[in-house]
Amino acid sequence: MAVGPNEAAPSQGAETHAGAEAHAKGLPQFDTTQWAGQAVWFLIIFGVVLLLMRFVFVPRIGGAIEAREGKITGDIADARRLKDEADVQAQAAAVETAAARARAQKVGAEARAKAQAEIAARLAEEEGKLSATGAVAEAGIAKARDAALANIQGIGAETASAIVAKLTGKAATPAELAAARGN
Amino acid sequence: MAAIDPLHQFLVEKIVPLPPIQIGGFPLDLSITNSVMMMLVAGVLVSLILGLASRGDLIPNRVQAIGEAFFGVVETTLVTPIIGHNGKPYVPFVFTIFMMVFVMNLLGIVLSLGSLAGFEWTFTPTSQLAITATLAILTFLTVLIVGFVRNGLGFFKLFVPAGLPWPMVPLMFVIELISFLVRPLTLSMRLFGNIVGGHVVMFIFASFVISLGIIGLGGGWGSLGFLGSAASLTMIVLLTGLELLVAFLQAFIFAALATVYLNEVVNLGHGH
Repeated sequence: MAVGPNEAAPSQGAETHAGAEAHAKGLPQFDTTQWAGQAVWFLIIFGVVLLLMRFVFVPRIGGAIEAREGKITGDIADARRLKDEADVQAQAAAVETAAARARAQKVGAEARAKAQAEIAARLAEEEGKLSATGAVAEAGIAKARDAALANIQGIGAETASAIVAKLTGKAATPAELAAARGN
Repeated sequence: MAAIDPLHQFLVEKIVPLPPIQIGGFPLDLSITNSVMMMLVAGVLVSLILGLASRGDLIPNRVQAIGEAFFGVVETTLVTPIIGHNGKPYVPFVFTIFMMVFVMNLLGIVLSLGSLAGFEWTFTPTSQLAITATLAILTFLTVLIVGFVRNGLGFFKLFVPAGLPWPMVPLMFVIELISFLVRPLTLSMRLFGNIVGGHVVMFIFASFVISLGIIGLGGGWGSLGFLGSAASLTMIVLLTGLELLVAFLQAFIFAALATVYLNEVVNLGHGH
């Protein structure tokens, strides 16, 4: 490709001439007079962006992503650990509750047994008292009955002597009356 | 005439002419051209987006989420799965390739919409063979340097597949060497061809919109030209969507291939 005439003259005319020449030959991209400048500029821009990437963008963006992932995994681990702790505590609480319930049941049972024993003792005592009172009363009743029965005998003897006196005109002797009652 | 030449969009034009610098007798013209300007815009844009995304907050805002998504494309889907944990030092390089190619591709499509509003110097730097070739050679040299630094002369094991019977070794060495040396060519041509092809096809459909519309204005049977014009416009809309996909895909492919090539020399001799 003939590039000679364009090299020395960087004027507008040379450029349009290069353009026209490129047109005549097809794709303007194959005009090698334009290559060096583009390549150098591209390398400069690429290099600057690469340096920014290397020292600023990639560390910061990659760092943010890593920090986020670390935070998420850390948080999940924390949550898991707390959950495990809570589980352990819940189990301990359940065990404690069961023990407390057993203790409460034992205390209740003891109290019930004690109360029942007391009740039984009181009942026995009251029954003893009642039976003693009953015995005294029964004795009183027997005495009264005997007295009554004795009175009845006296009344009977008087009635019998009165009847005898009316019938025979003379009073019967107590010996006769006793003999008659003995028959 | 130049306006309906589909190749006119690839013409490098000076915006700020600078006198050429002489380096060892060779003139180096560092004038700011439309191509250079778009590269600068791409570089600034990439730095701006990633700079705003570099807040490092635990809870990302929108820009940070976008930056982290791009970072994820390179780090999580390319470098770590392909190279493994040895790949960390190469993340900045692959990320730079991906972001620069992606944004340069994208500028060509997004700003070309601006040309509808009379925005003059829309340009796609990745449609320049000079730029894709520079990037491809840069990648190739990086692989070469990493290969020799990490493996020394063991680098040449790359060209001898393990378990090869010895009579086959010279033949395979030559074949593998050629396939290695041809990489910068395939890398640069793939990106260049895809972008140029897409832009030329879009331009041709765009010129159909105009030319068939002019025929339509003629009236009579020529009114059918409006149908063709509308169909071409629909095609442009659809192709713009496709080109947005291509812009991402080609950047991704370039970054993925760079990662694969780096992996071969980083993990040379173990695994494959």
